Amino acid sequence: MEIAELLSPESVIPNLRATSKKQVLQELARRSAEATGLHERAIFDVLLERERLGTTGVGHGIAIPHGKLAELKKLFGLFARLEQPVDFDAIDEQPVDLIFLLLAPETAGADHLKALARVSRLLRDRAVCEKLRGANQPEALYALLTETAQSHAA
Amino acid sequence: MDALNHLILIGAGLIFLSILAGTYSSRLGAPLLLVFLLLGMLAGEDGPGGIEFENFETVFLVGSVGLALILFDGGLHTTRTVFRLALWPAVSLASVGVVLTALIVGVLGMLLLGLQPLEAMLLGAILSSTDAAVVFLLLQRSDRDINRRVRATLEAESGMNDPMAVFLTIVMVELLLDPGAREPWRLGIDLALQFGGGAAIGIGGGVALRWIINKIEIAVGLYPILAAAGAVTIFAFANVVGANGFLAVYLAGIVMASRPYRARQVISRFHDGFIWLVQIAMFLLLGLLVTPTALMDFLFPALVVAVLLLLIARPLAVLASLLPFRIEWRAKLFISWVGLRGVVPIFLASIPVVAGLPIGVTFFNIAFVVVIMSLLVQGWTALGMARMLGLEVPSEPESQEGALLFELPTATDREIAGYRVRPGSPALDQDFAALPLPKRTRVVGVIREGAVAELAQLARLQSGDYVILLVPPEHELSLDRLFVPMAPRHAEVLDELGEFGFAAETPASALASQYGLAIELDHPLETLGDYVARLLATDPVVGDRVKTGDAELVVRTMEEDRIAEVGLELLTEEERLPIVRRLRRARAWWMRRRFAERLPRLRRR
Repeated sequence: MEIAELLSPESVIPNLRATSKKQVLQELARRSAEATGLHERAIFDVLLERERLGTTGVGHGIAIPHGKLAELKKLFGLFARLEQPVDFDAIDEQPVDLIFLLLAPETAGADHLKALARVSRLLRDRAVCEKLRGANQPEALYALLTETAQSHAA
Repeated sequence: MDALNHLILIGAGLIFLSILAGTYSSRLGAPLLLVFLLLGMLAGEDGPGGIEFENFETVFLVGSVGLALILFDGGLHTTRTVFRLALWPAVSLASVGVVLTALIVGVLGMLLLGLQPLEAMLLGAILSSTDAAVVFLLLQRSDRDINRRVRATLEAESGMNDPMAVFLTIVMVELLLDPGAREPWRLGIDLALQFGGGAAIGIGGGVALRWIINKIEIAVGLYPILAAAGAVTIFAFANVVGANGFLAVYLAGIVMASRPYRARQVISRFHDGFIWLVQIAMFLLLGLLVTPTALMDFLFPALVVAVLLLLIARPLAVLASLLPFRIEWRAKLFISWVGLRGVVPIFLASIPVVAGLPIGVTFFNIAFVVVIMSLLVQGWTALGMARMLGLEVPSEPESQEGALLFELPTATDREIAGYRVRPGSPALDQDFAALPLPKRTRVVGVIREGAVAELAQLARLQSGDYVILLVPPEHELSLDRLFVPMAPRHAEVLDELGEFGFAAETPASALASQYGLAIELDHPLETLGDYVARLLATDPVVGDRVKTGDAELVVRTMEEDRIAEVGLELLTEEERLPIVRRLRRARAWWMRRRFAERLPRLRRR
């Protein structure tokens, strides 16, 4: 599973503005609704429900919110960098500024887990995260997210 | 008279210097005991000190009493948890493991160094016991610890294997002195008497000692002395009647600590300090005893033995003794690697010298070099090894950190604990009347700004308050959780424990449907914590894993003996641990090569 299969260049947001975890999720839901044609509210509810099970803020300023939606056709990813880090109830209590959202169709099964593992492995690389924080253009961010994926897969 | 004063001055001065040097070396992370050894060598005949010291009897005497007290202390500190997690593996390591280590070192020593069979076995026996205290000294860091089960195994092993090593050494020495001294059937009887008698005396002695300590009223400062004297008496009595004194004194410690006893803290603190003194004294004496220039002659054989021990004998012995137990290969590898040798082998090496065996001094020098090698190589690599094998876990808040504890003068099982409430302490968020105190725990008083506060009128605790409580010793840790500010959880360590965390109360079905996991529930409402505990089928420790289809569930946090948080691990072992990847790759390469070698031959056919 490659990042490029989950993420299109249009789904990279270099400067998302939000002041709270809830706002971040709302904003992500809005953007994904635009891209997938699904209901914004449905996406938001799914994300919120997942956060209730336990935070997706995995530490080091990174969050990977995710969920399953019956109406979705294929895996959908969205990357956002926050203009101001927000409190995300992360496990290390550090504010979050890098977010990779992942939505999966109800039927995705093992692919859902594989995609999550792929994203997690990518963002676990501290060097990649530093570069992501340093880049400015959406194209550059997209290149970082997908390029490193290839070198890792080798 | 003058000479005597000089001796006192030198002895006290050296110990004083050693402790000072110790505080500096711990900052540098150097194995502390090596510093003492070095000081001893500097004070010795080849160093500027120029002290000539050739008295092996002193080493033997200090060593026996010292080791007895170390084992007693080890027994006192062995908690139920350690037994619960590691009793049988440790017993196997301490019996089968010790014999195998001695045998393997012996056989290889025979083949490579041309030793006589009995001599080679003696060398093996001398080197067969481990010392966990040194490992933990190195592994202890504020924010992380090693896997509890691994830790418990190493800890229990190091206490239990000394009696067997001592027994083997003495048997070998006796056989070397007089080969006809023991018929084989006598050996069986000796073994039974040594271990059966040792166990009986130890258990009886422990019960008696606890009873006496709880019964008599003496000055508080005398309790630790009474305990120490009692321990050494049990040790010596067992030895006199032909039983194993080391086993007896270790068991006495365990038995004594299995029920509440008076002056627990005073005794425990005194012994902690005393154990340090013994270790320092031993290593200082050894430094004095050894003649560095003479060591050079033994350097080569000693290095050979060290390599044999660390790389062949220990790993083989560990793998064989742990064969019947379901222990992860990573844990086995780590246990194989950190079989650190401490003061015991050098003490054991003084036995043949004192007994007058000609090979004694040679073995003493070899043991000396092996211990140094072991301290250096294993001591300095243990931490990296734990990380590489993914055996690091977040550490529990240090018990008694921030707490002042006082003993109650009677043998109740409560202690007085005092905490200064610090900013960030979880207790600050609670109504004072509704503080979630552990069972049988009570607030005795609160001191605010130097004055005793009226408990009934207290609404909330403030930062800077002193809280004084009565608490049963087993709940001290829960109390720490309430009063000591939580250290921020380190994402680096949690990274090893799954990508996402879930409270243990989460219904397992919620996770199953969220991720499409193959979870077979016991009943529809089974919680995640119960599910993991059920599948593990052993007492869980942080870092334990169960496979569920395409993912793994990891124990992330424990509260006392209960799973509190479970991690969902999406990566495979290979993806998580670089070393596994490398090992698999190496194996694949090796298979390919072997296959490539055979291929032409097969074709020819």
